[in-house]
Amino acid sequence: MASEQTPKSASPLQVAKAVLGSFLGIRGRAAHESDVTQLKPAQVIIAGLIGAAIFVLSLVLLVRFIVGSAA
Amino acid sequence: MSAVIDSGHAHDEHAHGPYGGVMRWVTTTNHKDIGTLYLWFSFTMFLVGGMLALAIRAELFQPGLQFWHPEFFNQLTTMHGLIMVFGAIMPAFVGFANWQVPMMIGAPDMAFARLNNWSFWMLPVAATLLVGSFFVPGGASAAGWTIYAPLSTQMGPGMDLAIFALHIMGASSIMGSINIITTILNMRAPGMTLIRMPLFVWTWLITAYLLIAVMPVLAGAITMLLTDRHFGTSFFNAAGGGDPVMFQHIFWFFGHPEVYIMILPGFGIISQVIPAFSRKPLFGYSSMVYATASIAVLSFIVWAHHMFTVGMPTAGILFFMYATVLIAVPTGVKVFNWLTTMWRGSMSFETPMLFAVGFIFVFTMGGFTGLILAIMPIDIQLQDTYYVVAHFHYVLVAGSLFSLFAGFYFWVPKWTGRMYDEKLGKWHFWLSIIFFNVTFFPMHFLGLAGMPRRIPDYALQFAGFNEIASIGAFAFGLSQILFLWIALKVTVLGRGEEAGQRPWDGADTLEWTHLPSPAPYHSFHEQPVLG
Repeated sequence: MASEQTPKSASPLQVAKAVLGSFLGIRGRAAHESDVTQLKPAQVIIAGLIGAAIFVLSLVLLVRFIVGSAA
Repeated sequence: MSAVIDSGHAHDEHAHGPYGGVMRWVTTTNHKDIGTLYLWFSFTMFLVGGMLALAIRAELFQPGLQFWHPEFFNQLTTMHGLIMVFGAIMPAFVGFANWQVPMMIGAPDMAFARLNNWSFWMLPVAATLLVGSFFVPGGASAAGWTIYAPLSTQMGPGMDLAIFALHIMGASSIMGSINIITTILNMRAPGMTLIRMPLFVWTWLITAYLLIAVMPVLAGAITMLLTDRHFGTSFFNAAGGGDPVMFQHIFWFFGHPEVYIMILPGFGIISQVIPAFSRKPLFGYSSMVYATASIAVLSFIVWAHHMFTVGMPTAGILFFMYATVLIAVPTGVKVFNWLTTMWRGSMSFETPMLFAVGFIFVFTMGGFTGLILAIMPIDIQLQDTYYVVAHFHYVLVAGSLFSLFAGFYFWVPKWTGRMYDEKLGKWHFWLSIIFFNVTFFPMHFLGLAGMPRRIPDYALQFAGFNEIASIGAFAFGLSQILFLWIALKVTVLGRGEEAGQRPWDGADTLEWTHLPSPAPYHSFHEQPVLG
């Protein structure tokens, strides 16, 4: 986005929050606006892949825990 | 090309209109013309697929075989599915994207205008192959729309025609998606930042990425099918070291995102219509964007919930079950946001709003039956029964189709400059929603009672509900003839009150605020200035 104000680069925490918000499907307007101006596409894609991996891994761990405890 | 050399705005009125006659439509690179072509093509295919559906319902009106041989019945169900998914619903949404995306972001046209023409004109070829396959030896493909191996490796030449048709339609979808993504990312008017983009544009941006991700997967699956059929490979043949179950995994890795491809643009249309007729901004705009992204990501990790009965380790079943149920979260966010948009709004119920509200009501029911089917122990009972048929028709007819109707009634005043017949539009809505439910609600009961899908004959205890469903189906089909008349009247015959630039006072996107009705053949010569 060619924004007029100098884009402040986002902290890893903000990237993580944006990705978490997108996984949950909930994000406040103000946070969304700063996401769009400050996050770079590469950051979002990498954080999204990491987030998806964490999500899948946690589901796998949960499943293993349940299957293991049933045995 | 001339966009590169801007010799001042005084010469802008040189833009020529369309060619006359048939060549206008063959050669057109205009996004509005191509949008119109897509919409008429998809409506034609909708009528063809609808006739096949009525042929199915006629056979199922009573137990026993009345009209068709079982082999032909299987062709009917297969082709009904393929034609509706690839010929009707998907091209219809691309038609809306063509008409609306450039106007909503303040762009003069799509990014690749000639590619756009080609994307469309591949479709009639594919449709000819599909429909023509009924007339080759052995008839059309009868392996179900999922074309599972080994059934699909054993069919006659009709299967090859279906494979080629799917290849062509897939290529068309990929080219259309590249066009849409490029247009949205590069051609927005100054000031139209991503966070100001209308929801319809957002949903199409995400859908286009989904299409590019999964259409090649389908192409791969059907190419392997083709080489298994003709070139001696054994990808899906256990006797040659292959695995028929692998086909199902690959197919559904495409197939589940495909489900969202067919509904996300519908969500976008509903997210334009509900605020316009509630006269309030969309509640939770950002949440809607994030929920759409979330649904898109989740759609890639749930595919095997279509295969619970095929055989999988318990851990795999649990994984896909949990992941599937979690999709209810972002979908729920959307439904609640639509409801809260309406809350204390100054609402009016013209036809687009009726279809949008009807969508929320009926689509949510389809979503709930989806949750029920996601629970593996229940799915084991309901797999391949009419309960599944009821579920996906609630999502695809009451979801995708109703959102398309809502979008048509909402935007046709902008396209034609005239209002559709409001009275007939309301009739169309009430007939559609009543007979939709008469057709498909009894199918839940049939499924719970154990009636299997894809059979031309059934046990006597299913007769009552099948009669009701068939009556509903014919009435629903006839109601769509009313829609054809409404559409012809306002578009081709040009009859109806003059619409004015902004007939819906709550609609505030660029096509309403910056363009007259009908929208000029070339819009936004000069970039609109957004405050």
